[in-house]
Amino acid sequence: MTEQPLQGHMYLFDSATPPLDDGSYRLTVGTQVDYQGTGQGFSRQHYFDIIGPRFSVPQSMVATTWPPSNGHGAFQDGLAHVVLSRRTLPWERELDPSNLIPPPTIPPGAPAAPAPPVPWVALLVFEEGEYTLLRNIPLQQAVPADVFGRLGSPANISCDAVEADADLVASILPSVEELQLLAHVRWVNVQDRELNTAGGDGYYAVVISNRLPEPDAQCRAVLVSLEERADLVQANPPPFIFPRTGATAQAEAAPPAEAEPPAAGLEVGPADVLPSPIFTLSQPPVHTFSPLIPLPVQFPSGPRVRLIALTSWQFTCEGPGTFRQLMQNLDVAMLGTVADVGHPPLADTGHLQIELQDRLGASEAVWYRGPGVPYNLTRDPNGPYHSADQARRVTPETGAEDVSYAAAFEVGRLLAAADPRFAQAIMRWRRESYKQSARASTIGAMEQRLTLSLPGTLAETLHTPVSPIIGTAAAQAVAASGPPLADAYGLTKVGGAAGMNPANLAAAWNLSSASEAADLLGADPGTLGAVATPPAPTIRPDTTLAEVAADTAGLARLSAARAQAVANATTTLGGA
Amino acid sequence: MRSVSITNPAALAERLTAKDQVDASVPESGMPPYMEMFLAHLRVLIGVPFDYLVPDARLLPDESIRFFYVDRSWTDRLVDGAIAVGKTGSREQAHHQAHAADVQSQLDLTERVVRILQRGLQPPDPPTDQGPARVLTGFLLRSAAVTGWPAMDVRAFSTIVPPYTGNPDDPAAEQWALQAAAAQLTTLRLELLSPSVLLAIFDGIPELVWLEQPHHNIEFGVTPNNTGGFILDRHGPVGQVEQPAVPVPVPVRAANNRVVAVAALRDELAALTGPPVLPQTGSAAFAIELLDYPWRQRFEGVQSDQRASSGAFVSKWEVASVITEPDVRTAVTELLP
Repeated sequence: MTEQPLQGHMYLFDSATPPLDDGSYRLTVGTQVDYQGTGQGFSRQHYFDIIGPRFSVPQSMVATTWPPSNGHGAFQDGLAHVVLSRRTLPWERELDPSNLIPPPTIPPGAPAAPAPPVPWVALLVFEEGEYTLLRNIPLQQAVPADVFGRLGSPANISCDAVEADADLVASILPSVEELQLLAHVRWVNVQDRELNTAGGDGYYAVVISNRLPEPDAQCRAVLVSLEERADLVQANPPPFIFPRTGATAQAEAAPPAEAEPPAAGLEVGPADVLPSPIFTLSQPPVHTFSPLIPLPVQFPSGPRVRLIALTSWQFTCEGPGTFRQLMQNLDVAMLGTVADVGHPPLADTGHLQIELQDRLGASEAVWYRGPGVPYNLTRDPNGPYHSADQARRVTPETGAEDVSYAAAFEVGRLLAAADPRFAQAIMRWRRESYKQSARASTIGAMEQRLTLSLPGTLAETLHTPVSPIIGTAAAQAVAASGPPLADAYGLTKVGGAAGMNPANLAAAWNLSSASEAADLLGADPGTLGAVATPPAPTIRPDTTLAEVAADTAGLARLSAARAQAVANATTTLGGA
Repeated sequence: MRSVSITNPAALAERLTAKDQVDASVPESGMPPYMEMFLAHLRVLIGVPFDYLVPDARLLPDESIRFFYVDRSWTDRLVDGAIAVGKTGSREQAHHQAHAADVQSQLDLTERVVRILQRGLQPPDPPTDQGPARVLTGFLLRSAAVTGWPAMDVRAFSTIVPPYTGNPDDPAAEQWALQAAAAQLTTLRLELLSPSVLLAIFDGIPELVWLEQPHHNIEFGVTPNNTGGFILDRHGPVGQVEQPAVPVPVPVRAANNRVVAVAALRDELAALTGPPVLPQTGSAAFAIELLDYPWRQRFEGVQSDQRASSGAFVSKWEVASVITEPDVRTAVTELLP
């Protein structure tokens, strides 16, 4: 695992761009070879495409969304966002490669627009009734013809699209600068997360919407593609207002910012005093509509536009449902606590009464408790168990059987039996143990019966073959138990024979001396086992080739010998 | 069929008690790695059917969290059952009998690396934690929060770490983080059993458990005021809310008063002066201003039930507090050149 932020820390980045944007590329490789004044150039072209998600985003790239998909809750004060596990996704394509969108006009005094890149996606929130989601339509129908042409007229592409009023889309679609502000990258710590977290490196791209969903509305958030949509994306953000806020309302109480000329016939009063609902026939009633309350019914009017929907999800703004509310409303207890005591029938130890068919087929009420218990228990020291029946217990208080541990035994057995590789491993474990056990028994038995001097580490050096070592040790022991083999070939005994003794021989044959008899016997002292000294080798000086060549006398002798040999051969062959 | 080699009960008892086995310390009598890992997975209840964990749905109702101790005897039986596969005769039984103690102590160590392996990481070799087996605890959470906020942060602590309320840039904050890290219990398992059920198992008895909204899914939001508009709290350079809170009115588009005028809001934030204000350099800085705080739910307190013994842990929850270390920073503007 590469480094990651400290626990509790999070880093934010403006954008993350891939080394190359999506698109088609041409790679030209060239080399120039010069040899002895003449040169030759070689070059070759290759084409390759970088293809990323363009007309739909697979669900596997959506790490999470807020509000949750199909969630219900108080989402009306939050801006919906989608978290993408592919961190470069919003910046992988160009929003406007043809430069059809004019550069924004920045009013004096305002900060400069953020630096590129500009994301090509935006998250739009529509309420129920405002939009139509079109599933799997041809791309030609999802975008206007000129946009289709600028997209490269890809054939046979189907995509989802969302259709809504042009006015509505224009009122919520972010401008270029806003697009940039609504997407960023986060880098978080993923140490204490459960396992299915997509994007294991902790980087995520986040695309935010700019629209607050209405309370009590069912909404759909749609991640749309704005690639080449110069017809919709505005260079400058549309005009804005400050709705009456608590802070500004106080500050602006005195200046007549909102004090419009009063309607004729009405008494001019303080701005915050509503007209009296009492009216007379001479004075028509005054209806005041707050500009902040939208009309309950909106009729579709004007043209409708379609946008490519990359991914979308629905949520409903009703009731509590934020993370905080859900967490605070949790029912917290130890496992084994039930709201309605007796349903299910639970003992205070956490045991649950269940029905069981015993071996005879009769129904029996038994106790069961899972691995999660409400108390800290001591560990059963009576182990191991070899069958489930060993683990069955009868509780003295109730007389009923407790099958918890027997059930655990059986589920463990079934899980293990379902895994062929585990069966192989456990068989290998046993086989190895049996083999080592047999080996240790062999060594022990041999040492017990024979007084062998086996190496002390034999029992630990498991790969040493036992039989040759024991064989060698046994042979050594046998050899060590007899007299020393001084006269291995019986030469001393033979030497002791009467006919082989020089003194006896000299006496028998009436020789003058024993040495004479020894000569008769061969005079070879080695015969009788005595030590024979080899003759010293003759020392010869080293001779170099130059010395040999300079030895004229020797050369003359060799020449003479050769001439003699030639003469002899000539004579042998009959003159000539 | 193999003929029964030992028929005399006395001989059988002799074989099981005076087991002629190779010593468990001999390396090759150890378990093959796959077997060891399989049994260690069982120790943290991986693969155990949900019905065995929660035998009745009413024990884990909707929107509830249930803490528990893991019954070591139960998991030991689970392991015994697994080893019982292929145990056809007294030879296998004698073998298991001789090795059971060693298998148990080995698994007490191995169960600590299961989560490391599950996350695809390399466990330390030799294991850093060689201590004896501790009491395992955990919780089951069934809530819409599990579905809606996948990958929430779950941490358990052996002591009650007080919430940190100071400035996140102080050295005291770092001190606090170190203290918290030292008290944190190892998480042995943290997994979704179904889209809405989360199971966590910790190595030790926690005094404090907290669940925190995942940081990559922190909401963006504005606060409605009672007159129909919206306000925003000002955040400092590291994301903390400025005290005293000076709300910023939020501009909306003239054409649609629930669409935030993003660029205008950015301009407004950039024009703010006063105590250190986050410079508006781009979308990251803008996002910090809009961020709500991640909610950190604390479960703490010592059980005071009738059966409580020392060390029993929460069955009550008391305090909930807002996250106090919103250390969010803008760093580089681009990851790649």
